[in-house]
Amino acid sequence: MLQPARVLMQGIGEADLRDINVYRERGGYRQLERAFKEFTPAQILDIAKASGLRGRGGAGFPTGNKWAFLPGTDQPRYMVCNCDEAEPGTFKDRMLLEEVPHLVLEGTLIGAYGIGCHQAFIYIRGEFKRGYRIMREAAEEARAAGLIGRNLFGTGYDLEFTIHRGAGAYICGEETALLNSLEGKRGEPRLKPPFPATQGLYNMPTVVNNVETLAYLVPIMERGAQWFASAGTERSKGFKIVSVSGHVRRPGNYEVPMGTPVRAIIDLAGGPREGRTIVAVQPGGGSSACIFEEHLDWGYDYESMQKAGSMQGSGAMVVFDDTTDFVKAAYALVRFFSHESCGQCTPCREGGHWLEQTLERLVHYRGVPSDIEILKKAASQLTGLNLCALGDSIEPFLASVINRFPEQFEARVLMKVAD
Amino acid sequence: MTEDFERLRERLRPECDSLIAQYPDRRSALLPIMHLFVAEEGYASKEAMRCCAQMLELTPATVESVVSFYTLFFQKPVGKYMLQVCRNLSCTLNGAEDIMAYFREQLGVGHFQTTADGTFSYEEVECLAACDRAPCMQVNLEFVYDLTPQKIGEMLAAMRSGTYEVAALPQRKRPERSWAVEQGSQIARGERSAGGVGVEDADDAGGIGDSSGIIMLDRILSDPARFAGRTRERTVQEPAAILESMQE
Repeated sequence: MLQPARVLMQGIGEADLRDINVYRERGGYRQLERAFKEFTPAQILDIAKASGLRGRGGAGFPTGNKWAFLPGTDQPRYMVCNCDEAEPGTFKDRMLLEEVPHLVLEGTLIGAYGIGCHQAFIYIRGEFKRGYRIMREAAEEARAAGLIGRNLFGTGYDLEFTIHRGAGAYICGEETALLNSLEGKRGEPRLKPPFPATQGLYNMPTVVNNVETLAYLVPIMERGAQWFASAGTERSKGFKIVSVSGHVRRPGNYEVPMGTPVRAIIDLAGGPREGRTIVAVQPGGGSSACIFEEHLDWGYDYESMQKAGSMQGSGAMVVFDDTTDFVKAAYALVRFFSHESCGQCTPCREGGHWLEQTLERLVHYRGVPSDIEILKKAASQLTGLNLCALGDSIEPFLASVINRFPEQFEARVLMKVAD
Repeated sequence: MTEDFERLRERLRPECDSLIAQYPDRRSALLPIMHLFVAEEGYASKEAMRCCAQMLELTPATVESVVSFYTLFFQKPVGKYMLQVCRNLSCTLNGAEDIMAYFREQLGVGHFQTTADGTFSYEEVECLAACDRAPCMQVNLEFVYDLTPQKIGEMLAAMRSGTYEVAALPQRKRPERSWAVEQGSQIARGERSAGGVGVEDADDAGGIGDSSGIIMLDRILSDPARFAGRTRERTVQEPAAILESMQE
């Protein structure tokens, strides 16, 4: 049976890596020092590009290319580590934050140096009070050790690090909403273009990268871009932490090479519960469509999941067995998006609300025949019509399960609750 | 402003100043400063929002419009224990419905409500990123995993007797039945203007904007010199600045 990879998750559960001394004994911050002493920012950028690392937050955009969009001006520029993890089913960034805060910090500082900036931020989800405490302590330790601040490693390079805590809003995980929130504004996504690379934080060139993405820079620096690029598939390189939950026996985070078959990942998580069979998997967080039994032997990577009609997204795998009530499952997700819509765009704000009400009727066996048609038509009136991806995320799961399990939805129509 | 609040403000001022100094633009300290006050008061009080506005050189209405966007800034007092139970997908697949029903039955209150004795506030929330330990919840933002009725019963008993491991929230004011801002008062909730312009609306029908003085367009017209420079300068960066200037 497949063994999980141990790259970012190396040492978790064995030692208290929150302690800077333990982290350093195991080689921690050596790559940061090497980055500053042995490489120019341009060389770090080349390493990021050569590694094939792509964004682990959901969009899968090549990290090096994202950095390369920054203009060559001498304006201030900023690196922001996005730890506003709130995609339903995803719990990898919280684990990294709470278990290996120094790795997250080291990766962020390497990334900041790679884009040549002098101030980095981490935006931590408001609910992660514990993670925030842990990161504050880690940053204090790092500052005391001379790893943050002025003249790092005697190179004359200054790098500040600021921890910013959100206050409860899923949408702040969207990079432009995050930047507004970091500027002390309502967390509403901005119209793009301009993209953050040219006009981001305080209107200056900015890179926003996910926690896991930045953390991978550390092993990439240590073992080389080629090592990372040799794992995974042709276009989805390296490793990925997958958050597996739902109907499995050992839910948890499992780190695997990209392209590992979906079934093998589910097996790592203990497989289905006793006597049950898996009928669907949501492979990329609450925003993704379901894949089904026929896809379980497909590789878990950006391209395969897209081909299967879904996406790898944030790497959250929710597993459904044959006991699942998909009307309730769809209702839980649609209600979530409806609740989290920032309200700027009408299709998202109103559409999410209508879908939620329609599904609520079905959940309570009070559906009318037109409800099914409303649910099926939703996509054409929601998707692609909004400022950000939230509006486009409301419908994929719903559409995939209503097509696959129509009988579950139809059974809720024109029936009365048995009193 | 009460005497108490003045003392609190002075005690927190050095920390607020150091927060402001961490950012290239002082407005960025809005959320951090509000977090400080919320930790002391248990909720985002109007005094705290006014004080934050003063520190950041913003109007109180602007601060309120931001604060009201974020669900963790309760705009009214809440109970000693804020119980936030996850209702999202992975928890639903693992019995969250029964857990929520049990809480409602044990507490005698529903979503977004506080018990009459002011001990518990109850809310059903979205994914807390602990799906591997579903069903899960947070108590005053500390995680509680693998919920069962038995575990909940013991937890509530410990909270009632004051022996629970997580500290109670400060109780500066007695909570009401709910901390929800009144329905139908969209502007008081600091939402975007309904007219479609989408700027932060401060023509406030019950929030804090009114007591700071609403300045109507005719006052700008009657005293253009007072507003002109600031308006011109800030309009370049954000159109909402015009309205902000009007509020002062």
